Amino acid sequence: MKKIAFLLPLFFTLLSCEIEGELTRKPEQAAAIPENTLPAFTGDFMPTSGINVNGSAKIYLNANQNEVRLENFSISNGPDLKVYLSKTDKPTDFVTLGNLTSATIYKIPSQVDVSVYKYVLIHCQQYNHLFAIAQLSKN
Amino acid sequence: MKKIILIFAIGFLSNSFAQGCSDAGICSIANSFHTSDREYKNGIEIGSIFGAGEADVSYFSPYVTYTRTVNERLSLSSKITYSVASGSFGKRGGLGDGYLIGNYNWKIKTKTQWSALLGFKIPFTSSNQKINGFSLPLDYQSSLGTFDLIVGLNLNYNKWDFNTGIQIPAFNNNKNSYFKEFSNSDDFPSTNLFERKSDALFRTTYTIQTANNKFTFKPNILFIYHLGEDTYENAFGIRENIKNSDGLTINGNLIASYAVNSKNSIELSAATPFVVREIRPDGLTRKFTAGLIYKYFF
Repeated sequence: MKKIAFLLPLFFTLLSCEIEGELTRKPEQAAAIPENTLPAFTGDFMPTSGINVNGSAKIYLNANQNEVRLENFSISNGPDLKVYLSKTDKPTDFVTLGNLTSATIYKIPSQVDVSVYKYVLIHCQQYNHLFAIAQLSKN
Repeated sequence: MKKIILIFAIGFLSNSFAQGCSDAGICSIANSFHTSDREYKNGIEIGSIFGAGEADVSYFSPYVTYTRTVNERLSLSSKITYSVASGSFGKRGGLGDGYLIGNYNWKIKTKTQWSALLGFKIPFTSSNQKINGFSLPLDYQSSLGTFDLIVGLNLNYNKWDFNTGIQIPAFNNNKNSYFKEFSNSDDFPSTNLFERKSDALFRTTYTIQTANNKFTFKPNILFIYHLGEDTYENAFGIRENIKNSDGLTINGNLIASYAVNSKNSIELSAATPFVVREIRPDGLTRKFTAGLIYKYFF
């Protein structure tokens, strides 16, 4: 019984430790947008209820790679925030551009016709909660 | 005996892949069948499994099991798993799953005994653990995030055990958000909002015991059939099948245990696969696993 009294607390102490190391693989980086390039579409972010957001989304059309750039952007923390390019202001018909990170540039897949996507959304996928909406208008 | 040793030696030397057993539960289903000749009513098992997975991922997966023999026919077990994965994305670990399993033994007839089990697997994560905000493939997750129903049947005949079972994901809470496209790696398939199909299992085990009953060897062969292609949600929010993720896996496993006395025993296990599915998105694949287990009865 003494063994159990010793081993079980030791085991549960071990179990309680969640380990998160450093990311050792560099995620794919978007290429920098050439200077003096003007955005094709622009929109300011509006928050949903209970969320704080600032900044704007801009779409740049490059010959090889279209991109969304977030400018002066900040938002309330969320557990699983994604950047969506969406046809509506709800996350129902969209293309995901990846996790929202400290990066400001998000690549748009080459097969996407950006002219039919009118919104950039910040959406928490894990809890299916929409955080912010930027309605895009042509410049 | 020489043949068995030779077969396993060949298996361990071959660089093949296996359906791993870190999470699925079904791989260790045989351990949940208990014979009705137990001297003690309670048992605690503490173990650690070391594994080499896909690409360069390695695993350290400890677990603890408590078993209570209710009466001659019925026993109940609970198990908690933990897993740490290390590889080219970094290191990530956490609690895996909890298991609740009930085992019923029918009356022993001449040389034969049937037993059945019913169990549930409860995930402690939604399979979306990240490193520095970067989504990770299922190979780095400590759980698949599915609530599973486990049903099994065992026939013990003389020195042979034949067990069969099925593991059904009854409720899916997998919120994984890994996309190959964003990862700069081709090692793992996209598993965004992964949905897993059921597994069916068949295992045959032969038990060899030394004359003094101190050492027991249990070579066994495990067949797992994954009953359909798993799916994920692509970048456009459309669900897609992961082609060739269904099919058969065959694993070889050798267990050697030493009974220190009637209350304490130590067990070593080693396993490797001979046949694998073409695509294995669930992160359960291992090239090789080795386990060290301590059992205490009271």
